[in-house]
Amino acid sequence: MTIADLVREASEDRHVSASADECLKCNVCNTVCPVMRVTDLFPGPKYSGPQGQRFRLAGLQQIQGPHSVNPKSPDHSVDYCSGCGWCTTVCPAGVKIAEMNNQARGRLREGTIPKLRDWGLGQTDLVGSLGVLFSPFANFAFHNRVIRATFEMVLGVHRNAPFPKFSKRTFQSTWKRRQARRPDGGTLKSRPGPDKAVVYFHGCSVNYYEPQVAEAAIWVLKRNGFETIIPEQVCCGLPLISNGLYDDARERACKNNTILAEYARAGYRIVGTSTSCTHTLKAEYEEMLDMRDDDTKAVSHATWDICEFLLDLHEEGRLDTNFGRLDEDLPYHAPCQLRSHGIGLPALDLFALVPGLRAKDMDHDCCGIAGTYGMKKEKYPIAMKVGEPLFRKVKDSGATMAACDSETCRWQIETATGVRTRHPVEILAQAYRAADKAKGTVAKGSAGAS
Amino acid sequence: MPHADVVVIGAGLAGLVAAARIAEAGATVTLVAKGHASTHWGSGGLDVAGPAGVATPAEGVAHLATLDHPYSFLAPDVAPSIAWLLERLEANGLPYAGTLDTPLRRVPTAIGGTRRVAIVPAAQAAALRPWEPDEILVIAGPAGFKDFWPAAIADSLGREAVWMGAGHPGRVTGITVELDGVADRHNLNALHLARRFDDPAQRAADIARFAAAITKAAAGRPGRVGVPAVVGLSQHAEAWAELKARLPLEPFEIPLVPPSIPGIRLWHVLREIIRAAGGRVQIGESVARIHVEDGRVTAVEMEAAARTQLIRTEALVLATGGIAGGGLVATHDGRIVEPLLGLHVDAPEHEEWLVADALDPAGHPIEAAGIPTDGGLRPLAQDGRPAPLANVRVAGALLAGQRSIRERCGDGIAVASGWRAANELATDATRTPIEREPIAVRTDQ
Repeated sequence: MTIADLVREASEDRHVSASADECLKCNVCNTVCPVMRVTDLFPGPKYSGPQGQRFRLAGLQQIQGPHSVNPKSPDHSVDYCSGCGWCTTVCPAGVKIAEMNNQARGRLREGTIPKLRDWGLGQTDLVGSLGVLFSPFANFAFHNRVIRATFEMVLGVHRNAPFPKFSKRTFQSTWKRRQARRPDGGTLKSRPGPDKAVVYFHGCSVNYYEPQVAEAAIWVLKRNGFETIIPEQVCCGLPLISNGLYDDARERACKNNTILAEYARAGYRIVGTSTSCTHTLKAEYEEMLDMRDDDTKAVSHATWDICEFLLDLHEEGRLDTNFGRLDEDLPYHAPCQLRSHGIGLPALDLFALVPGLRAKDMDHDCCGIAGTYGMKKEKYPIAMKVGEPLFRKVKDSGATMAACDSETCRWQIETATGVRTRHPVEILAQAYRAADKAKGTVAKGSAGAS
Repeated sequence: MPHADVVVIGAGLAGLVAAARIAEAGATVTLVAKGHASTHWGSGGLDVAGPAGVATPAEGVAHLATLDHPYSFLAPDVAPSIAWLLERLEANGLPYAGTLDTPLRRVPTAIGGTRRVAIVPAAQAAALRPWEPDEILVIAGPAGFKDFWPAAIADSLGREAVWMGAGHPGRVTGITVELDGVADRHNLNALHLARRFDDPAQRAADIARFAAAITKAAAGRPGRVGVPAVVGLSQHAEAWAELKARLPLEPFEIPLVPPSIPGIRLWHVLREIIRAAGGRVQIGESVARIHVEDGRVTAVEMEAAARTQLIRTEALVLATGGIAGGGLVATHDGRIVEPLLGLHVDAPEHEEWLVADALDPAGHPIEAAGIPTDGGLRPLAQDGRPAPLANVRVAGALLAGQRSIRERCGDGIAVASGWRAANELATDATRTPIEREPIAVRTDQ
């Protein structure tokens, strides 16, 4: 590889690989790394990121000799990065440290057969489909101590890692049935325009485990005058990216883009309840998977996290702010992926509109789970230590309910604290219901829709 | 889109002080910054003014105020702003020592040099007291810590020339202390050690080791001990009290290369003050563009995933730093530009940026580059008249005319200008929301 090639590659890959060049070695990234805070197994974002990058780039140049280097990475410690992204957030020089580490993890796994465990945790959709299909058995197995201990030994999934219950059926199939029962058969002809409807990206968590989040979202959207369109869709691919399975992730991304781009071009907004899925659609297809086609761009620009979308409605004066009173303390954890959106904390702004609701930002860096990181046997203790101060704050709050935008964080917090942890949109739905109840007009599904 | 009465750009000392003051005044404020800033790199002390030849920071301010320097208009605000900051820091568990009238004294650095300071965190204060000839200075650090070499530091501090004529200890000795599980680590920085001190059980064991080694080194002589500035982060107050109580000599912290633990303590406290007063602090949000309509900033647009984010605002504090902080950018064709608003920059011609001797005591002309402002911190256009930006104030290292490395005035300018920018925007006749709600200055002031 010539210098010219390197320069060309650097300019094509400006955001990530070449940003190592901007590193001042100031150590600011190390000061915020939640993993480095609790374990020595991860030497910190600076070492694994920009410092390791020199060796990785040297490896690309095939430099050989007395100090020949592993072209993939100086060592395997980068595998202990949880991908939370705090390092990138605070870097004063604009180095894409977390993304660099993610790519390094992917490269470490290139050409090797993935661990069955990592492959399985990446295939959220496959595990989810099988789990739903055999849900009575799967729910028994995933919550049976003996079987979980066996899983841990054979697969390396920690026996205490949080795992939600599989639904009896997928949300997709529930939705299709419901559409088929509609007088118009749910045909596209009846589809309202982009000012009256949004496309809903439900993600795997809703599809296989938490249909109640979708129901709340659809209800809240309807109350604000938006019908929900739910086209065919597959896993966003983030669990695959996190587990270094880039090719599989790209395949999912292409499928989603092909379907969603059509809606995006027609002016529909794509709204999601999983803040990690929406961030993947917005940014990771391009940044991590190097997809720069028009479909990717169209989908990215059309994608909104649900709280971001609702707050935008509010800014336009279109949000129904007739929330009922909820006299509750509500500890709120802002997930790492939300921070990567760069949209502030829209859930807290929305909670502020609910009378009586005392939402409080727990102001903790990371709950530890980081997608599938904290489910892995060797990383579970790290994840629990990372989240420990958060768990303590949530427990000390005395609240009976907590809120968080990201599903794996919710499962982690709920498992660790015993405090029921819900999506912000569920809280908002509850506040609307409280309003209806107060008015004595207990609403059915169509309440408030114009 | 969200709204804030005032948006502050920059998370260094100037931006933090401005945001804290604005929030306390009852206006809504959002501080945005692309990353952490000077707090994480600095010593944690407050360098207000220490040009060669002055005895106290107050004298330094008075001297610099006679020059073409930000203190020529900021000088009256230095004392009240520093007093306000020190009071807030103390109230939030991070006491400082020293005032503007404290004599500038030479204290040891982590490479065995000395620097002149007057206002420092309480944990660094013991180094300020004049040295008696019979005193021993013990430099003590953990074995295996590559950012702090006690033997080398002591060796250098044992040379009279290092003290530049100031009083110094009669004897200096360096010792390393073996701590369990530290010396054999291949990766050890100030944070690892600071977190050890946060842990009560671990710090009790570590302090016992330090006490034993220092007792032996001092051999009954009076004196003081310099330790690396790693004595606790979240539990600093407790850790410091325990260390002080259990060592045979009075300790002081010596600030290290980044990451600066004293600076991070300062950042945490200031962020908490802003948040407690209802302000927002958003790190990791790069400003893409500032919207200006009819000579007023109306919104700040930030980079985000997929689409930029807007914050509507009534006023802006620009505290983006100098060349090191990214507030000023040197272009390839030799110009210095302010990238966000394209403000006029006072800077020498490219050929005159530097003088031949890198260490010339007079410094390099480029150091003074920055944004010229009027006394109200309004940016000036090239013709010397206020730029048509009624609701913008400039604060901190971005201000023209300072040579902070030589004049040791960076923190004082940051605090005084952050404070003044906040006060200006709170009383500015062109302002709207703050006017309607008169500022409730806290009665405890």
